[in-house]
Amino acid sequence: SLVIRGEKDEQAVLCSKDKTYDMKIADTSNMLLFIPGCKTPEQLNADQASCNIIHSQIAGFSNNYWELRRCRPKLKKLRKLLMEDPYEGPDSQKDRTLTFSKYTTEDLLSLIQASEEEILHQLQVIDACKIEGYWRVLEFDYEMKLLNHVTQLIDSESWPLSKVPLRTCLEELGSLEPKEMIEHILLSYGRKYTDNGEVYFEMHEDKICRAIAQMLLQNAVKFNLSEFQEVWQQSVPEGMTSRLDQLKGLALVDKTSRPETIFLLKVEDLPEDNQERFNSLFSIREKWTEVDITPYIEDLCAEKQTVGALLTKYARSSMQNGVKVYNSRRPIS
Amino acid sequence: EPRQRGGLAGSLLGDLHYTREGVPVLIVGHHILYGKVVQLEKPFAVLVKRGAGEPGLEEPHARYTVTALIKTKLLFKTRPKPIITNVPKKV
Repeated sequence: SLVIRGEKDEQAVLCSKDKTYDMKIADTSNMLLFIPGCKTPEQLNADQASCNIIHSQIAGFSNNYWELRRCRPKLKKLRKLLMEDPYEGPDSQKDRTLTFSKYTTEDLLSLIQASEEEILHQLQVIDACKIEGYWRVLEFDYEMKLLNHVTQLIDSESWPLSKVPLRTCLEELGSLEPKEMIEHILLSYGRKYTDNGEVYFEMHEDKICRAIAQMLLQNAVKFNLSEFQEVWQQSVPEGMTSRLDQLKGLALVDKTSRPETIFLLKVEDLPEDNQERFNSLFSIREKWTEVDITPYIEDLCAEKQTVGALLTKYARSSMQNGVKVYNSRRPIS
Repeated sequence: EPRQRGGLAGSLLGDLHYTREGVPVLIVGHHILYGKVVQLEKPFAVLVKRGAGEPGLEEPHARYTVTALIKTKLLFKTRPKPIITNVPKKV
């Protein structure tokens, strides 16, 4: 079955179980008459016997129909809703009575313009978890605190990063944090598998390094690139290597400044609409190389669309110092 | 539009015939229309709204069920021609 979703100030979308479509009403110049079971000439030819009158009923008529076009699910709102009240841990000092911005799956289904599967998938992507029946995202500092417990334990136990045992983590850390949270952080930053009946996690080196970079970068407007890289490498767990390509869609390097700098720029903070996204990117930086801009626009690609096609549509290219760069098609105020 | 009041429901629209060549012919009143059979490039889905609940209830949870798929249409886009019966010439 299909559902139409949208609040009064939003454009309606039609959702199946796993897809989302923009809806438009189209008028027809000819009236449409629906005749169930009406036979075509081919079908009648096959049935030679009937030369009699067949009484058919017109079941209905219409002067318009709904035109659908598959679109990207509108999921930015999901993160926005869950960020209204991020989970800060059981010891949180936050006054519970002040805000009640918590959402169940049912709530999200009626507020988010996307299909159920797209919503559930996105919840997984943003590492949301269900606490007391409500979907929550972790407040970043709390998330880092949990991650730190785990990485320190990995270090003190000298476990290989690819084989972190769930049971021992729960035993050792269960007194510090809720067990569900320990398991959640392992699931968020690792791949779960079983070996001989025991549950282990293969930790995602890239994701851990990336989170630590975010922790460092969010404290200032920008950083000296080489200083940052040094501090970053020192901050990541033993055995892990930090690399700039781990920061795609999270941070941007300014190669034109002397010395080179790096600053936080999260793709999820940027507008969801294509034109608005490009306007925003061009107001941050006038000219972009394809390599730099790709992580900030690839989520805009429709089903069979490429980044190149997006750039052709929304940007203008030129050569700068032998390198192809893209800038805005129109003046940005 | 019907001549008499009382709406269209239950009334006869007309007669649909096919010629030997498979051309659909629609006779409405004393007008005749010639059409053609068209396979729809994008089929239509017929939706029936379910579970809308009474107005005033908080969460209607309306859903649409696809009850039919229409893949063929008979298109009549030419102007209807009046059928003139043969009047014998006076000799």
